[in-house]
Amino acid sequence: MSDSRPEHRVRGPRAGSAAAHSSDDRAGAVFGALSDPTRRALLAAVAEHPATTATELASQLPISRQAVLKHLNALTDAGLLGRKRSGREVRYEFTPAALSDAVDWMTAVGAEWDERLAMLRGQLGGGTGAQAIGAAPRSRHPH
Amino acid sequence: MTERIERELWLPATPEAVWEAVTSDGWLAEHVTLDLRPGGDAQFDSGGLLRSGWVEDVAIAERLTFWWAVDDEPASRVELRIDAHGDSTRLRVVETRPLDVLDLIGVPLPGAGGANYGPALVAA
Repeated sequence: MSDSRPEHRVRGPRAGSAAAHSSDDRAGAVFGALSDPTRRALLAAVAEHPATTATELASQLPISRQAVLKHLNALTDAGLLGRKRSGREVRYEFTPAALSDAVDWMTAVGAEWDERLAMLRGQLGGGTGAQAIGAAPRSRHPH
Repeated sequence: MTERIERELWLPATPEAVWEAVTSDGWLAEHVTLDLRPGGDAQFDSGGLLRSGWVEDVAIAERLTFWWAVDDEPASRVELRIDAHGDSTRLRVVETRPLDVLDLIGVPLPGAGGANYGPALVAA
């Protein structure tokens, strides 16, 4: 329906990334790309040293250049990194737009649900507030 | 950060009363039209904001899973789960953006466009 969807919405990281972790430690995921600790480390390294190359990154991390490239591709697909060719080399840059897009979505959607749940509480009663799952359970409710 | 919203709410009401409230006009949208069967159409009209989508899974007074999207925005998936514990009923809400879900279940991604996030895709 749309021709204007950014690339990171069209292409996602492949299976094996997010699926390997529980939903609790999928923190940092933009479409699962950040669920992998190596990718998070790579992203941090690129953010810290803009215009870096796969070779430079491989020298800083205990993984091969080939593995670095694989992760860089996943991060690029997720919209978190941009590639820039300079001479014979490809340089990578952190592009936080995908991240802020995800944050915007979570903020807006979270606020909508909070509003709906508050309305429901007003309608059906109940003193306990809506809570994010994972918050301490109320003792009076059996599980 | 995960593109996933999760909430839960305890209510001093029966699951049936909670179901009635969450599927009636005024909660998910001002006007809600739900064809309560897998693959059924769903329309959520709040005047200026129209979301359309479809029902993935339904069990009256227990669960409702549907997808919704505004125009050409990416669709998201909403799960409402209702279960009773003694005198209280718990409502759980999970909303996720689709690529997150599709990646988890390993479904190949289609081309762009909300129309592709349809029942056939999830059935695949």
